[in-house]
Amino acid sequence: MALMPRRVKHRKSQRGRIKGKATRGNRVVFGDFGLQATQGGWISAATIEAGRIAAQQYLRTEGRLYIRIFPHKPITSIPLETRMGKGKGEPEYWAAVVKPGTVLYEIGGVTEDAARICFQRLAHKMPVRCRLLRRRSH
Amino acid sequence: MAQVETLQVKKRDSRGKRHARRLRREGEVPAILYGHGEASVALSVPASQLDMAVRHGAHLVNLQGDVAEQAIIRELQWDTYSKHILHVDFTRVSQHELVEVVVPIELVGEAPGAREGGVLEHVAHEVTIECPASAIPEKLVVGVNDLHLNQALTLADLKLPQGARLVGNADAVVVQCREPVEVSEEITPEVAEGAEPEMIGRRAEEASDEEEKG
Repeated sequence: MALMPRRVKHRKSQRGRIKGKATRGNRVVFGDFGLQATQGGWISAATIEAGRIAAQQYLRTEGRLYIRIFPHKPITSIPLETRMGKGKGEPEYWAAVVKPGTVLYEIGGVTEDAARICFQRLAHKMPVRCRLLRRRSH
Repeated sequence: MAQVETLQVKKRDSRGKRHARRLRREGEVPAILYGHGEASVALSVPASQLDMAVRHGAHLVNLQGDVAEQAIIRELQWDTYSKHILHVDFTRVSQHELVEVVVPIELVGEAPGAREGGVLEHVAHEVTIECPASAIPEKLVVGVNDLHLNQALTLADLKLPQGARLVGNADAVVVQCREPVEVSEEITPEVAEGAEPEMIGRRAEEASDEEEKG
């Protein structure tokens, strides 16, 4: 199921800059382990879905996977072999803007070894470097 | 009961992020002590001692050095990657004073529901309790040895230590054993190719007109 917003105010958005580190969404909240991005970038809806499938194939019916990011940003592109100008391109896909430190996915109900293997498979699909993060009690 | 750790603290006169960063480079963590209607005191704590105390799950600490008081760790600020402690808040407490603290919940045992084809889901990972400062538990242990399929344990089922009281909704689920949800491993495009979301504050006709023009 490709993710995208149901309703938006504007069809297109400006590119923007990814500045600083994540000050929100950088803790494990729902599960026991999290996959944290250590780089910033755009993660497309297709990539988020690919990550979910990679994790689900390993987990099967065990444990629970939480997706912590959502593609809110429309990314436009202009068709190939088009001359410059004539305005901004059409929305091509949707992406999540990820700052370094953002928790991308979480897993609950599995051992650390299983979570580590699962996230290793999942991290291969991601366009950013990632690390495993454990839940903190304090 | 969680261990009572001792921290060697120093008073600090410097304020602001430059001084705080300098302190952190020197292996200290900026801290503040407040409570009991007394004036707040800015302190610094050795990072290694504080890390050790936090790793051991300490809530109650003995402050020694420039300030000699008993306090609880009220709040910790971590860096983005949850590696280093940036700042710590201490609240003054006396031994038998009642304090509200957040305590982690740990599951032990093997749920029979898991053998019946269910999935054990840990819903609440921590709980807020009110208890004497001298008897703050390190964690609350919940046994799941009697948890069958489609059963749940709530906060009311927790065994609290002597003198402790639950804060908040006692009906909140801590752990449940539910039937596994079949999650698709295939990409099933819910939306048609090239579909766009609805525009807020614009009628469908206007949007279609604009598209025709574009």
